Amino acid sequence: MKIGMSHGAGGEVMGKLISETILNNLSKKSVNGGIGLDALDDGATIPLGDHEIVVTTDGHTINPLFFPGGDIGRISAAGTINDVAVMGAKPLAITNAMIIKEGFSIEDLDKIIKSMDKTCAEADVAVVAGDTKVMEQDKIDEMVVVTTGIGILEKGKAIPDSGLNLGDKIIITGSVGDHGMSLMSFREGFGFETDLKSDVAPVWGMVEKALEIGGITAMKDPTRGGLTNAINEMTTKSNVNVLLQDEAIPVKQQVKAVSDMLGIDPYEVANEGKVLLGVKSDLAEETLDAISKDKYGKDAAIIGEVIDNKNNHVLIETAVGGQRILESPIADPVPRVC
Amino acid sequence: MKIAKILVQGIVQGVGFRPSVYRIVNALGLKGYIRNLGNIVEIILFEDEKQVNDFIAILKEKKPAISKINSITVQWIDESRYFYPKNDTFEIVESSTDFSGASVIPPDLAICDNCLEEINDSKNRRYKYPFTTCIDCGIRFTVIENVPYDRDKTSMDDFPLCQKCEKEYTNPLDRRYHAESTCCETCGPSLKLYNHKENEINTINPLEKAVKLLDEGKILAMKGIGGTHLITKVRDNKPIKKLRKRLNRPNQPFAVMSRNLETAKTFTEVSSKEAKSLLSKERPIVILKKSKNYDFAESLAPELHNIGVMLCYSPLHHIMFDYTDEPAYIMTSANISGEPMMIKNKEILSSLYGIGDYYLLHNRRIINRCDDSVIRYRANELSFIRRSRGYTPEPYDLNDLIKTKKINKDLNILALGPEIDVTFTLQKQGLAYVSQHIGNTNKFKTYEFLQEAIKNMRNITKTENFDAIACDMHPQFFTSHLANEMGEKFNCEVIPIQHHHAHGAVLAMDNSLDELVFIAADGVGYGEDGSTWGGEIMYTNINNYERLASLSPQKMPGGDISTKYPVRMLESILSNSETYQGEELESLLSSNYSHYFQHRETEIKSVLKQINSNLNVGITTSTGRILDSIAVALNICGERTYEGECSMKLESFAYGANGDLKIEPQFKKINGRPILDTTQILVDIMKLISNKENKKEIAAAGQKVVSEGLAILAVDTASKMGINNIGATGGVFYNEAITLATKKYVESEGFNFVQHKNSCAGDGSVSLGQSLIASSKIN
Ligand SMILES: [Fe+3]
Ligand SMILES: [Mg+2]
Ligand SMILES: [Zn+2]
Ligand SMILES: [Zn+2]
Repeated sequence: MKIGMSHGAGGEVMGKLISETILNNLSKKSVNGGIGLDALDDGATIPLGDHEIVVTTDGHTINPLFFPGGDIGRISAAGTINDVAVMGAKPLAITNAMIIKEGFSIEDLDKIIKSMDKTCAEADVAVVAGDTKVMEQDKIDEMVVVTTGIGILEKGKAIPDSGLNLGDKIIITGSVGDHGMSLMSFREGFGFETDLKSDVAPVWGMVEKALEIGGITAMKDPTRGGLTNAINEMTTKSNVNVLLQDEAIPVKQQVKAVSDMLGIDPYEVANEGKVLLGVKSDLAEETLDAISKDKYGKDAAIIGEVIDNKNNHVLIETAVGGQRILESPIADPVPRVC
Repeated sequence: MKIAKILVQGIVQGVGFRPSVYRIVNALGLKGYIRNLGNIVEIILFEDEKQVNDFIAILKEKKPAISKINSITVQWIDESRYFYPKNDTFEIVESSTDFSGASVIPPDLAICDNCLEEINDSKNRRYKYPFTTCIDCGIRFTVIENVPYDRDKTSMDDFPLCQKCEKEYTNPLDRRYHAESTCCETCGPSLKLYNHKENEINTINPLEKAVKLLDEGKILAMKGIGGTHLITKVRDNKPIKKLRKRLNRPNQPFAVMSRNLETAKTFTEVSSKEAKSLLSKERPIVILKKSKNYDFAESLAPELHNIGVMLCYSPLHHIMFDYTDEPAYIMTSANISGEPMMIKNKEILSSLYGIGDYYLLHNRRIINRCDDSVIRYRANELSFIRRSRGYTPEPYDLNDLIKTKKINKDLNILALGPEIDVTFTLQKQGLAYVSQHIGNTNKFKTYEFLQEAIKNMRNITKTENFDAIACDMHPQFFTSHLANEMGEKFNCEVIPIQHHHAHGAVLAMDNSLDELVFIAADGVGYGEDGSTWGGEIMYTNINNYERLASLSPQKMPGGDISTKYPVRMLESILSNSETYQGEELESLLSSNYSHYFQHRETEIKSVLKQINSNLNVGITTSTGRILDSIAVALNICGERTYEGECSMKLESFAYGANGDLKIEPQFKKINGRPILDTTQILVDIMKLISNKENKKEIAAAGQKVVSEGLAILAVDTASKMGINNIGATGGVFYNEAITLATKKYVESEGFNFVQHKNSCAGDGSVSLGQSLIASSKIN
């Protein structure tokens, strides 16, 4: 069998590839009893003395390289910094490996690195190592950036995806669907004359403020597959039932309009500057206040809660339509309405 | 000496079977006993072969009216190994649970004449008692938890019999002998009336009071047999609009209940077949044409030429109409759209908060929720739209298929249906038990109801294991997910079945055919090529199928939103034609149809771009989408707010046309497959519109060209294959004009036109088809 696009789409097909072809072939997958590869969390932890090192890595390809609200430099830095942050760790440094197509504009590369630098500065993160390779014209599409993030936290304080408990409130730190929807309409040239732009940003500022309150039980960045995919993963890993309130989920009007016109669910498209959190119910309001004080967290909202200790279902309630199951998205939507 | 052990399977419990046997045996002077054994009946006779045969002959003749015998087996057993009463008599003895057979309890039936007489007789002790029932009528399936069907396994167990009822119940000569749900005012359930604040309203006669409130224009939620109805007056727009708003059902037609046939005939046209169905003991809702004298509020069934009507079925309804002069009331299921009807008192009060003004509840628990059944006659042939109350759980007998070795009798199959109009089917010992209407399993509560209903059906059919689980091929249907879960649980094979193959298999079975060519015309069915089918010519021999012709594949920009807003479909179809390109199409759409686009001109442009870029674009051959597009082109319907809305309105709009416009069907081939060119149909329709032809005639011509086009393809296919039977299935064939036009063409070409008779043309029978195919595949 060969790799198809669906093997990278974040759905069932990709899950199967990861478990059968990747996880099964690797033998040592964690260190010192820390969170390892098998957990398929945002990052791994390596306990050392009183602390744990958090490590994560991400490959970035994006078309186009420059888009409204960001570019591949910003997304490569933020993506990795955010994966460290949502483990509950302070991001310290990233490494940056770039594979660049022969003939690539150095001016553009200059812009990309400057953007990466600016993004790192926002989170006070250093770029401590790197690698640059060039490939022939027809072997690669523009450039691929691989970043590895390193962070640190106190021993035992890592926040897994799987920590949701009965009664926990679910918080999203801002409007959903901005990155995916803006990129899609920009790339396809729909020309919706809008201020629609990607939300790509480092989230450590918000996470740090939220961590101080002390009620966070689970945390994830809703990137590929969007809110729907992230909440489903947290729900399944935590073995609980979650009920979301449709009306409480912030969606920008422009995003909603594009979603209406393209038939694409804003909950299923990527975010690059948002965090999805489970918070103990008595500290939820306080956590929400703290997040709202951050410049990226102004639209944060409580969007649901854990309603049961079983089943692994995410339900979503609309004011007039009752409750439906919010399924993990698969690559291509197939019509189902008669 | 030997004794005869006679096992009777069928509808033999809860129908007065044992007392009938008792009477026959006593008349013959035989000895032995009878008892319920699991879900079958066991008769032991201490007699010789001749007497036993005589007895069986008489039994077949004199069995109770609502019973049904599927099989009688006789075994001869050594006397010494069997218990029997020593005193030379015949007795009815305690039930035993230890046999697993293939019988089933009967469905819920309308009140019988005897009981009706009693509730109308002011001297009778059951005068105006709304829960009156006897062995011949009333609740069964909706109150049963397990078999054997005895009172202690029903929710009537909450109501211990009073002395008088007990006497009737234990007297084999009384018609309430072992009538498990019998009761009276003294011992049985009672009604209570509540206001919207959940406070009980103090009144001696809650039902009379409730009717008074109805007649003042209030909305009443009334718990009934298999669920709860929302009820209001039919002639007054105000409460209807209020109800629409509260339920968020802006246009969906409401069904009505009328007091009797004479009254129903004042506002509808009723054929003799329709009258028979209206009066049948199953009491379904029958879709009838509005008559010239129809004077109900426009908002009741807006823009439709027909209306769903049922007659009173429970004593509760009969008494309700005693208190009013109204000809009918709206009786619609009390549920959030797509969710199951509410059946628990607490739930009714809390979940319907803000929907009902008053609540009339009784304290009998509903065990098996069961929606009203709906049927429609087309070309004088019955098809179920929904087969539920009155029919469930009576199984389909698959004997024909077993005889021809198409399927194996010994397999236990569970088939889970598609997604929106789901029923499930449990197949066991050559019987297919199709469940009550379950609903849209996309809704969580419906998904839970499905699982609960499966559990109950397994209980009453005593089914422990399955040999296979069948489901739809659609990868995202919740029923497909559940099938995989259950396949693991029961450690058995999961068999996905193509949607229209399932439709076709049911049609074949319903007409006792081994094979046929059929037209499958509906909204959506996942095809093996990953696209969405729904306008297909297929062949099936149940086990397999072939797709032989179809409508043109059309793009669905944005997937399901093109179903909700059919103008997007129209834009997509027209964009294929040379006549309507780029700016010309844009200006046509923006000057005539822009109000149907949620985002007006921006959306018109973006749909075109989406069609070109193929971003989130589905491919479909659905007939439903073509009918929707015709409806929107004619400004009949711009948004689907309920299933089938646009095509139903198209049918009503075209009703009564004289048929003098004609569109010629055009055909082509794609990859060797003959195709009815639907783009050309829409182009022709646009031309007729711009020529200012009569819109009613255009609508009729549009329906006709689709029907004839499909019929021509089917006839071509059938003659090439040398098959004489051409069937029609799928929800589109609820449309009478389309059915008639298809039938006319097929028959004029000398072929036999095959329709659903005792099954659903729509998705309600898909689970049955899945089950048949699955059992033939692992045969
Ligand atoms: Fe169908
Ligand atoms: Mg991540
Ligand atoms: Zn009766
Ligand atoms: Zn009584």
